[in-house]
Amino acid sequence: MKTNYVGKSVPRVDALEKVTGQAIYCVDVELPGMLYGAVLRSPLAHARIIEIDKSAATRVPGVKAVVTGNDFPYTFGHMVKDQPFLAMDKVRYVNEPLAAVAADTEAAAQEAVEKIQVKYEELPAVFDPRKAAATGAPIIHENLERYDHSSMYKIVPGTNVCTHMTYSRGDVDKGLSEADEIFQNEFYIHPVAHTPMETHAAVVQHDPSGRVFTVWSSTDAPYQRAKDLANALGLSFNQVHFLSTYSGGGFGGKGAIVAEGIGVALARFTKGRPVKVVFSRQEELTASQVRLEAFLKLKTGVKKDGTLTARVAEITWDNGAYSSKGPEVARRGAMTIFGPYRTPHIRFVSQLVYTNKQPSGAYRGFGTNQVTWACEAQMDIIANKLGINPVEIRLKNFYQDGDRYINGQVMQAAGLRETLEKASQEIGWGEQYSRSTGALVRGKGIATTIKGTATPTDSYCFIKVNFDGSITVLTSSVEIGAGQKTVLAQIAADSIGVPLDSILIPNPDTHVTPFDFGVTSSRTTYHMGNAIRMAGQKVRKEILEIAADVLGANPQRLLLCEGKIMDKDSEHEVSLKEIMTKKYGGKGGTILGDGHYTPARSSIINAEHKIQWMGSIFWMWATHAAEVEVDTETGVVKVLRIAAAHDVGRAINPMACEQQIEGSVIMGISNTLFEEFKMDRGRIMNDTFADYKVASMLDLPVIVPIIVESHHSEGPFGAKGIGEPALSPTAPAIANAIFDALGIRFNELPITREKVLSALRERDPVQ
Amino acid sequence: MKEIATFMVNEKHYELAIEPHMLLVEVLRDELGLTGTKHSCGIGSCGACTVLIDGRPVLSCLTLALTVRGKDITTIEGLAQGTTLHPIQKAFVEHGAIQCGYCTPGMILSAKALLDKNLNPTDKEVKHALSGNLCRCTGYVKIIDAVLAAAEAMSKEAHP
Repeated sequence: MKTNYVGKSVPRVDALEKVTGQAIYCVDVELPGMLYGAVLRSPLAHARIIEIDKSAATRVPGVKAVVTGNDFPYTFGHMVKDQPFLAMDKVRYVNEPLAAVAADTEAAAQEAVEKIQVKYEELPAVFDPRKAAATGAPIIHENLERYDHSSMYKIVPGTNVCTHMTYSRGDVDKGLSEADEIFQNEFYIHPVAHTPMETHAAVVQHDPSGRVFTVWSSTDAPYQRAKDLANALGLSFNQVHFLSTYSGGGFGGKGAIVAEGIGVALARFTKGRPVKVVFSRQEELTASQVRLEAFLKLKTGVKKDGTLTARVAEITWDNGAYSSKGPEVARRGAMTIFGPYRTPHIRFVSQLVYTNKQPSGAYRGFGTNQVTWACEAQMDIIANKLGINPVEIRLKNFYQDGDRYINGQVMQAAGLRETLEKASQEIGWGEQYSRSTGALVRGKGIATTIKGTATPTDSYCFIKVNFDGSITVLTSSVEIGAGQKTVLAQIAADSIGVPLDSILIPNPDTHVTPFDFGVTSSRTTYHMGNAIRMAGQKVRKEILEIAADVLGANPQRLLLCEGKIMDKDSEHEVSLKEIMTKKYGGKGGTILGDGHYTPARSSIINAEHKIQWMGSIFWMWATHAAEVEVDTETGVVKVLRIAAAHDVGRAINPMACEQQIEGSVIMGISNTLFEEFKMDRGRIMNDTFADYKVASMLDLPVIVPIIVESHHSEGPFGAKGIGEPALSPTAPAIANAIFDALGIRFNELPITREKVLSALRERDPVQ
Repeated sequence: MKEIATFMVNEKHYELAIEPHMLLVEVLRDELGLTGTKHSCGIGSCGACTVLIDGRPVLSCLTLALTVRGKDITTIEGLAQGTTLHPIQKAFVEHGAIQCGYCTPGMILSAKALLDKNLNPTDKEVKHALSGNLCRCTGYVKIIDAVLAAAEAMSKEAHP
């Protein structure tokens, strides 16, 4: 099909607002009578709360409400309902919110917070999930089994194990016995912060009649947050009204109730006055959520020629003190630990364990970073030991069209090989090059990833054709920064046949825009794109019928293109605006089309009974190839070049795809080489941007984004997704390149210069 | 004790009564409603709050407002002339240098400070001039492209 916008790098539809400073983010929302919130946070990692005395705080001039867990005794949880809005009987991590204040000014709120007196009884704390899972560990949630939770997540009562799952396919003992060599390795991946440039924020107003909480938020899934809040407070869905603003970055971090919960607790007591809560960078780094830390063990049986015969994985994930989306990360993450490789016999054990640390949650990749780190480093270990080219061992084991996934789903693997071939070619894999100059040593590494999308999930939309021919698309897909509005507008324009600039996509409003699962799991282009395509085709059909009526023509002979209706027979052309004006005259009117996409009935996800959920309506494949230079005198690793090839199905907007790839690569370099929390008894010591270092422009390598288009049979115009998979292969590609340079294997992240230097010193002791 | 002070922001005069401890970012956002200037780290480590004072890039989260009274303050709202974008803004739009947009105002102002002095910067000079501005979305590549393209456009405008 010929398209006018799909496939083109049109500039972003939100660009003008953003370059002029007019775009309104949650932190910019100002309302009449607005109050400001501040939060008292726990100084201890694990303690019983004996008493909270708020009397002095309430006397601070300008203070309108001081709220504790006793005043607002509710809990929430997207998967396990384990988190109080404000701590009640215990605190479970350093900086957990205990009490909140709303006042006329931020200064008054802050002063009042400092006057709240708390008596604690300190309890033993545990920070390592492996220790927390062991017998005799301090118990963090005494009543774990009583929390509401989905039956999908198996809680282990009387322990800190929030979810435990095992899965096997085939016969791993048989598979291992068929192997020529068995490799056993352990890997560690550290927690990292999302660090969106806009910290968590919320503005909340409680309707004076007491019926509705209105929440201005930059969350990534307004329907999910409203649903969770309604569920927590015993309200109906329409009593929690989310209004999305522009979002200053998410990366999964905005996928939970964070500032919204504090805002709701305060607004309940401010007699209709709205309350604004904005997290400081310290709060963002220590008390929002982080990527799940994970300890991974992989045992793999391989034939001499590199054929995988069996793989056994054990993963222990750190949930932190409360669940957020940890249970699902531990489930979906574990599934892809075997990588994009055909493996006849597999087994995994995945356990998610509470610790006395800030909650863990979704982080760009949803578990894929952790498992890809282990899987791809081990593939390199195997290749090196067996003397097989790391590219060849991957090609040998890759899924091919028609192979079965671990739940029996038939794989659509087109595009996978091409990502590896193009990335390795771009980096000059196998070519001779100068490997060392003085103390500087170079090396190359490669890593591939597989990422599915949460399946099945639903997206709904309405398309409104207004009486003047302008179009409004009503969707709950947030513009989180990834270009959602632009890509969806491109799909709408080509589905209807109108100019891009006639389309407006307002920010989501849960009283108006219909359900969407959320801008998570790299799902928006595919799912909401499909919903918009359906709605677009409906309104297009209706427009042509109206036009036929107005013009006295046969609707079959009319075309709608770029907002112009053309009669194929007479070649007579009329604008959409003229048709709409003729039809609706001065009275006005609307053409409305709805779209609902769900993959639930697609044959693509057919799999074995009861384990369909492991599958995915589309699979994203990516390969990154890295070249690094290590300074053996200082331990500094410099990433010189990364070729990143991604099978996106079809690039609706190639420039937006490149943005996702480039952004992920630098985020991956930052995660791999720089970012690391320094903790002391549960307290994060580096809680500012001065000492929690994220990559700057000076750390930028040459990035070569490569877009592979395999055309998904059910995707809108063939598209799949791109947001997440560009992060996970970066870390193992760098580590594999460091091994190539030095012959030293780092199985634990991050790979800081100190670690590199001490490994070099250990290998070559100074004489 | 509040003090009366006059500020010149985007070529407009404002007379304000402000507390001596107020930061420039607070005055711009809270007193003048110029919310294009963003607050992010609070300690001058991320560049989101960058504004220009007499043409030089300054971190407004570290600047006491009273210290810049009477000086020429430029925020992102002051760049476009009516509906005509500044060449740097235009280049950011065209080269895909924007994602969530939260770092964009600071990036553009740091770029303006550079290009007002040097219309022919190297890649390295751009990186150094903008290295104090953090971005978590873009990977910086397209921001550098945009600044170099803007330099070329501005240079053509200056020497047609």
